[in-house]
Amino acid sequence: MKKQLFCISLLLLFTAGIGSGFGQSIVGSAHDFSQASWNTTGQICIVCHAPHNADVSVNDAPLWNHQSTVATFTPYSSASLNATVGQPDASSKLCLSCHDGTVAVDNFGGISSGTFYLTGSTLIGTNLNDDHPVSFVYDAALAIADGGLADPTSTNSGLGGTISQDLLIGNKVQCASCHDVHNASGIDNLLIKSNAQSDLCLTCHVK
Amino acid sequence: MRISLQLFCGVIFLCGIMHAQDIANTVHNLSVSGPGTIKASSESEICIFCHTPHNSSPRQPLWNRPDPGFNYTLYNSSTTQAIPGQPTGASLLCLSCHDGTIALGNVLSRFAPISMIGGITTLPSGNSNLATDLADDHPVSFTYNSALAIADGQLADPATLTGPVQLENQQLQCTACHDPHQNLYTDFLVVTNQYSDLCNHCHQRNYWDLSSHKISMSNWNGTEPNPWFHTNFITVAENACENCHNPHTADGHLRLMNYVTEETNCLVCHNGNVTSINLETQITKTYRHNVYGYTGIHDPEEDHVVQVQHVECEDCHNPHASRQASASPPNANGFIEGVKGVNTNGSPVSAIQFEYELCYRCHADSPNKPSSPTARQIAQNNVLLEYDLSNPSYHPVEGAGQNPNCPSLISPLSEASIIYCTDCHASDGTGAPVGPHGSIYPQIMKFQYETADNTQESYQAYRLCYECHDRLTIIDGNGNFARRVHRQHIIDEDTPCNICHDPHGVSPPAGSELNHTHLINFNTAVVSPDQQTGRLEFVDQGNFAGSCYLRCHGENHSPETYQQGPAYMK
Repeated sequence: MKKQLFCISLLLLFTAGIGSGFGQSIVGSAHDFSQASWNTTGQICIVCHAPHNADVSVNDAPLWNHQSTVATFTPYSSASLNATVGQPDASSKLCLSCHDGTVAVDNFGGISSGTFYLTGSTLIGTNLNDDHPVSFVYDAALAIADGGLADPTSTNSGLGGTISQDLLIGNKVQCASCHDVHNASGIDNLLIKSNAQSDLCLTCHVK
Repeated sequence: MRISLQLFCGVIFLCGIMHAQDIANTVHNLSVSGPGTIKASSESEICIFCHTPHNSSPRQPLWNRPDPGFNYTLYNSSTTQAIPGQPTGASLLCLSCHDGTIALGNVLSRFAPISMIGGITTLPSGNSNLATDLADDHPVSFTYNSALAIADGQLADPATLTGPVQLENQQLQCTACHDPHQNLYTDFLVVTNQYSDLCNHCHQRNYWDLSSHKISMSNWNGTEPNPWFHTNFITVAENACENCHNPHTADGHLRLMNYVTEETNCLVCHNGNVTSINLETQITKTYRHNVYGYTGIHDPEEDHVVQVQHVECEDCHNPHASRQASASPPNANGFIEGVKGVNTNGSPVSAIQFEYELCYRCHADSPNKPSSPTARQIAQNNVLLEYDLSNPSYHPVEGAGQNPNCPSLISPLSEASIIYCTDCHASDGTGAPVGPHGSIYPQIMKFQYETADNTQESYQAYRLCYECHDRLTIIDGNGNFARRVHRQHIIDEDTPCNICHDPHGVSPPAGSELNHTHLINFNTAVVSPDQQTGRLEFVDQGNFAGSCYLRCHGENHSPETYQQGPAYMK
């Protein structure tokens, strides 16, 4: 009987935790451009995605409908960095297709004459040396070489699975490792996980 | 079920250990959850005080703080080959809090500084606030390459630094010693400094492995001041380098000494509170090598022949080498091992072989060296010249003496013996530590040595001499010499040994060899020329025979002559 009660309690706690994220979605988030002056369609998804005739020039691009960046980026580097960081690829390149400031946010659906560019804190630019590195392989070997990183294949992400399963895309750290572009969690800065107590940072960084 | 409980406890325990290593559990967690007293009022993020994922400062890794200034006072000393520049790399990052000029909450990723409990802005003064004067801190931001190791001669080749101590682009930075994210060994050290393990990764001092300061297990007796005020270690061996050196905010900037007054670094232990031998009681006696009298004059790089009069413990002792090891004259013992000196030719030696080579640093060719207290026929303050083996007479310090027949010597001493300077010049008192630290007797004599004319003879009055020269043989021995010459002068006329004998040796001008055998070099304050002949002279006439021309105690010797034979025979 006691055991059953305990299990029920756990279940309640678990669902309550999930529940805090329910109701959060792209609707009303920073990525909901349905009301933006430069988006005459009034739609949300259309700025990035189209059900047909999508752009496949970027690997793994999901039905892409926005003009992609062709900028050359300055990748992150530092004396204490063990990862090999090259040009942004895959989904990170898609993020940068607005956030590098070289492509107008209203260049979607085949339009290339847009005039609205990101500014302020949302502008990453093409110099990525002041940003957390992306598009690098994060595996057990890197964790060993660095000495201050968790083994992604065996360390819990806090989201149910391992870091590799929940935060990496094709074994790589991408923008989406930290950010949920669709705001499923409803956390500030579209974070995939709360950074209170630096929990997000400390998921990977063993400090 | 019991197994599960144990497993559970084990997991909790492991978590505890792992937690102790986390930054979250260190004072570098400045967030509201931090364990220290300096922390944020409400900010929960930990990393943010130093790092930001976007729009960081140009400094890596993803630095989230403004740069401090570049006007630091840098470390320097006569013995450092490294050339520290204004802080760079990780050191500059550390100083953006630890120089106390930038508010702890002043981060780039917040529009307003993060507010701290108690309204603290910049790092409060204390051990962790280094201020902008880095002259009292271990140097950072200098190139540490094999060339430096070779130039210094006592540094590890940086190629060997493959363990916890790491350089940053060939530069030594704060992070060589400190890991800001982990506090396993106090002070965020990358490895324990027990037995100076950390220091020894780079510093490889000559002689150190055998030094008492490395191996002594002595403890502090608890009497203030605490000699180990910046460590938690409890033996000399455990403190090792930190017995004397302080890597940060050192009182003595040069070479990062615990105290700016040189002798304090030694006497804080050698006062009986750590060492059983109390040198403080010796060095505070009336007649001493007055280490208290000088500050900031001694320099390890100074000339072998000391040019500016001074004395510090380190002039005679190498604290990296000093150890308990006995020796026979004239060889240097372990206490003075590894110190520089001047050899019998007046040439510098980097490490003395013989004790007298140490004394010659100051008492030979140095300008303004201490002068003899006695006016002599032949005045000579240079003891190197006084002990020259070609002299007509000398006490046997550099080699055996000139006199082949000295019956007063107490066995095991013989005419072939060699003695130390410190056989006469040493601390007085039974059980006093060896060496000329301090004495109640002038000239730092080990025993009483009366030199004033008209002194009533006693064993005690001339004990310094009688320790080696048997009193009875001197004043009551068989033959004419002892009774007519020595007894008459020393006892009947109350004349001290010192009036006729010059104890070091006589370095004569050319042509007077015969006149200064047996250390005869008259004290001219007491002995004057014979009024009849105008001569002031001792003439050696062979075994226990000689003539004296002089005037003393109102009596002329024109001359007085003595020769070998029965007592009282003229």
